[in-house]
Amino acid sequence: MLKIDNLCVNYGYVQALRGISLHVEKGEIITLIGGNGAGKSTTLMAISHLVNDVEGHISFKGTDITRMHPEKIVKMGIAHVPEGRKIFPMLTVQENLLAGTFGNPSLSKAKTAELLESVYDLFPRLKERQKQNGGSLSGGEQQMLAIARGLMMDPELIMLDEPSLGLAPIIVEDIFELILKVRDRGKTVLLIEQNAAMALAVADRGYVLETGCITMSGKGQELLNNEEIAKAYLGG
Amino acid sequence: MEYVVNQIINGICQGAIYALIAIGYSIIVGVVGMVTFTYGEIVMIGAFAAYYTFQLVGTNLVLAILASFAASFIVGGIVYKLCYERFFNSPRHISLLCTIGFSILIKNLAQIIFGPDTKPMINIIENKSYTLEAFGISIVIKQLQIMVLVLVIISSVALTFLFQKTKYGIALRAVSQDKTAAYMVGINVRRTAMVGNCIGCGFGGVAGILLSIYYYSCSPLMGSSFSMKAFSSSVLGGLVDIRMSALGGLCIGIIENMGIMISSATFRDIFAFGFLIIVLIIKPTGFASSGKNRRVKSEKG
Repeated sequence: MLKIDNLCVNYGYVQALRGISLHVEKGEIITLIGGNGAGKSTTLMAISHLVNDVEGHISFKGTDITRMHPEKIVKMGIAHVPEGRKIFPMLTVQENLLAGTFGNPSLSKAKTAELLESVYDLFPRLKERQKQNGGSLSGGEQQMLAIARGLMMDPELIMLDEPSLGLAPIIVEDIFELILKVRDRGKTVLLIEQNAAMALAVADRGYVLETGCITMSGKGQELLNNEEIAKAYLGG
Repeated sequence: MEYVVNQIINGICQGAIYALIAIGYSIIVGVVGMVTFTYGEIVMIGAFAAYYTFQLVGTNLVLAILASFAASFIVGGIVYKLCYERFFNSPRHISLLCTIGFSILIKNLAQIIFGPDTKPMINIIENKSYTLEAFGISIVIKQLQIMVLVLVIISSVALTFLFQKTKYGIALRAVSQDKTAAYMVGINVRRTAMVGNCIGCGFGGVAGILLSIYYYSCSPLMGSSFSMKAFSSSVLGGLVDIRMSALGGLCIGIIENMGIMISSATFRDIFAFGFLIIVLIIKPTGFASSGKNRRVKSEKG
């Protein structure tokens, strides 16, 4: 469904990605793991075309999206839930969610209401706070809101950038359960995580990124049992 | 005492116009993410559009407002195309300088086209005033002042409806708060920023009519002073917070008139800008509650 071929990204003189290739198939949960500065977030930013200096090819459902306008990429059905949440702080929870639907112009009013109902189902906490400003939510709630906003456009592929960052362990478990739920609804998930153990446990396949290169890839469970990965990322 | 109350009423009225100018300014700075110095000229163009509408069609206020809004909207679009669109990824001072240059150009073109003289505005409303007796003092309100207040309130209500109740309003506010996140939810940030910029300019144009009616005159050079007042009002309100900017405008209007009361009308600007400086020394974020709203970032465009 999503295919990345020999992708390079430069920030000025710094090469953040040095020719990575990966593919994501429909209905999979794919995870990218790696340390700080390995290029995980950059990969997602490149898919959304939010970085400028990009070489290589990215295609989605057979269409080349490497140099497409960011808003058109969203309209192809790719939702990007960014690191650091990036919700709209001065919009209410409900308005944040409605903003999420802009990426899918084909949504009817009835379908929007239905989606709203279904994300409130997933996150009852958000329903309680629907009139509150996004900026007044706690960190965990903001993360929920960011994911919910991504789901509101009814995407085919949802890319999650560090959804567990800075959250209490108990909420992290909720978030991962939620990721499985999202997949069960027929979505494809591309997940970036520092928390490699959790990510690999839910993922179908995983890629390991190190300083801009993919050094390993395989089934989630295989990677989880791999000694090198255990040493580098799982604290074993 | 009577004098004080009536000066406060004058101040509120003038402040209401400043508030409308500041509202337009805040919209522009918010959605575009860059400061503009062409805004005073946009206000002036609104005033002249009304002037010529009155000359050609007669005293039809509704038509004049529409003409001003349209003229300022269009010029706003040109400003966007010339000064912003190409420079989203450039250092911010480039578009800033562009707007200064463009403002000089418009000012001088206006002097060539409209003539350099101050033009008298037709008296579109009967010069009548109402006297209210309350607490033993008589308060005088001119019909003109009532009209100005009513128009400012109508514009603000229309704007609030657009921003709070429509889908487009959510998109405009989203772009104003976080451009990267707006891209991520699939908003066409550039088009939204352009339309938002034009709407802000349109409101500046409407404020231009009110100014010229209020002072019975319009001139190609009227913009500069009001552009600075608008900027000050917005800064008072935290630059991108629309409601707080309106409050800032109102305050500046009242302070000016209070100042005139104890000195002379020539010192008008001293009080306006002095007030700005004092507020910023005491509370650098202006009236806005946190420093967060005030940060205008240039994001990838």
